[in-house]
Amino acid sequence: MASRMASNMASNVASDMANDMANTMDGGISVAPALPPQNRIGQQSGQWSRAAIANVLLFAGVIAAFGTVAGQLLSLGLTTRPQIALALSEPMATSFSRPDIIDRNGRLLATDVEAPSLFADPAIVLDRDEIVEKLVTVLPDLDQDDLRRALSDKTRRFVWIRRGLSPLVAQRIHDLGLPGLSFRKELRRAYPAGELAGHVIGSVNVDNKGTSGLEKYIDDQRGVDAVHAAQVSNRAPVRVSLDLGVQHALEDELDTAVRRYHTKGAAGLVLDIRNGEILASASLPRVDPLYPSSNTDPEHLDKIASGTYELGSVLKILTVGMALDEGIAKTRSIFDVREPLQAGRFTISDLHPAGRPLSVAEIFTHSSNVGAGLLALQAGPERTQAFLRKLGLLDPMKTEAGAVSPPQVPQRWERAELITVSFGHGLAVAPMQFAAACAALLNGGSQIVPTFLKAQPQSEPERIGLVTAETSREMAKLFRLNVLDADGTGKRADVPGYRVGGKTGTAERADRGGYEVKAVISSFLAAFPMDDPRYLTFVLLFEPKGVAETGGQRTASTNAAPVTGRLIGRIAAQLGVAPLNIVETQ
Amino acid sequence: MRILNLAAFCFAVTSALLLYSLNYETRRLEAHVQAQERAADKARSDIAILKAERSHLSRPDRIDALARQLGLTPPRPDQILGASELSSLDGKRRIAEGQ
Repeated sequence: MASRMASNMASNVASDMANDMANTMDGGISVAPALPPQNRIGQQSGQWSRAAIANVLLFAGVIAAFGTVAGQLLSLGLTTRPQIALALSEPMATSFSRPDIIDRNGRLLATDVEAPSLFADPAIVLDRDEIVEKLVTVLPDLDQDDLRRALSDKTRRFVWIRRGLSPLVAQRIHDLGLPGLSFRKELRRAYPAGELAGHVIGSVNVDNKGTSGLEKYIDDQRGVDAVHAAQVSNRAPVRVSLDLGVQHALEDELDTAVRRYHTKGAAGLVLDIRNGEILASASLPRVDPLYPSSNTDPEHLDKIASGTYELGSVLKILTVGMALDEGIAKTRSIFDVREPLQAGRFTISDLHPAGRPLSVAEIFTHSSNVGAGLLALQAGPERTQAFLRKLGLLDPMKTEAGAVSPPQVPQRWERAELITVSFGHGLAVAPMQFAAACAALLNGGSQIVPTFLKAQPQSEPERIGLVTAETSREMAKLFRLNVLDADGTGKRADVPGYRVGGKTGTAERADRGGYEVKAVISSFLAAFPMDDPRYLTFVLLFEPKGVAETGGQRTASTNAAPVTGRLIGRIAAQLGVAPLNIVETQ
Repeated sequence: MRILNLAAFCFAVTSALLLYSLNYETRRLEAHVQAQERAADKARSDIAILKAERSHLSRPDRIDALARQLGLTPPRPDQILGASELSSLDGKRRIAEGQ
């Protein structure tokens, strides 16, 4: 640098000298023929001999020539090539380089890889029919008319043909040897785990920009870098709360459930109730993050966050929780549930009438609709609404993967609505939102916001005390009782050693003009270990059929409960829950 | 005058030569830097692809299928013991070996 500056200065000096000389000479030549007496310089130059003038001329000429050469060299040395490269890349599209997504244990969920993209320069294309015909042999799904039209426009210099090719396909196109086609390396999003957690991850568009799910969150909150070339991002990876192992176990068990009970779909959620981390969230049928356009039909909707359902009896968790927390009843209080309840034009009765008065605990384990209705009537519409609002069930919710579908709340809260909401009809809510409300009931009353990001170790949620610790303990007991009790609806969910507790729900699916008895959503909301609840699981099966294993039944106790049992048996050890008091089988 | 001319001439020639060689050297270095940068980019890209491939090969559903082929199943709760039970396990093994 220093030497460059020095030579720069030297050449400046040289050219200054040359200029001075030229000025003097100009003066000399112009004034030489007519010497005005006033001009002293002219008089002086006139005294110089002819030889001296020729000498000065030669000298100045040489210096000027060398000065020009030096200046040219300098300007060549100083001009940089990138300006030219930049001008060339200008018409090309910009793409984005994105940070990786890793799971809570650092396993890769999404990353950028380089992939060749094919483009054409119509100005140097010789035979566009040949190009189109030969390209179709390698890319059979190419839109031929579209490409022909694009290539015939000779004013364009850049036409994308296909972006993000596999190296093999790129080589085959290269081997065709067609003039006018070139490749560019571009970044492309890869999902090494395939369709795993596809709904949560979301997808990116052809420019590698996030369009849904966590990918969109990264664009909005973490930032991506616009790049011209394939340049891997050097941003820190985004660590999400999902656990790949738990996510796989959940999806695998749901797959089995879909096959076994011939369901139309299934969904599941595993939640850490202490800080709201979502460890797994799955909805079947799956979506592939690589092909977002195939995921738009309602079948592929994310049933955990983007669908609202009348969940049925699982909502009795909230009714009973409210009754205990508001001091309306104790678990041992007895209610007479023998008479069906009248609610408008509906008559509410129990699926399996007990034929005797039931305690609150029994209302929970027998899943008595009449009992839940009676509890809600005692509380009244104001307290019921206030309790549901406190748990965040009546207001919209949002996670990093996008907005959760807002709950559909009854317009008026009359007697009929009060009774139906108490056992889970008339209030449609997204499963994720419901799980968050139940988590607050079980964790001692702390409000949690479900999150897909790994929580900082020191960040403990504020203890707002939505419900008392006493209520939370009672609820945990009821959950466990429902699985332990011989008459409990959840007894098929038990896993020896892991202290599972839970509540079933079998909701008739709302249809035009009423409820479809045969189309049910059967669900099971469970938590473990129940002596100190830590993890919550929620499994939903959509329209299961009665099969031999369930004795022809469609109720949650025969399908969703055993699915939950198998799930917890697989994930408890992964989550670090140790089994207790196992009777040795050997 | 002659000496001055000669000196100026020499100065011009040497500075031109110096500039010329500097220019060459700079271009050579630039090419070198570009080659190094290309190599680094290639390495970075290779690392990204290898990372993705490794994750693809270790994805849970593939491992699951392979494990089941080998006759493995998810662990049962009674296969898991706490650290406190290790010593009793050790004792049992010794008894079994003794018999």
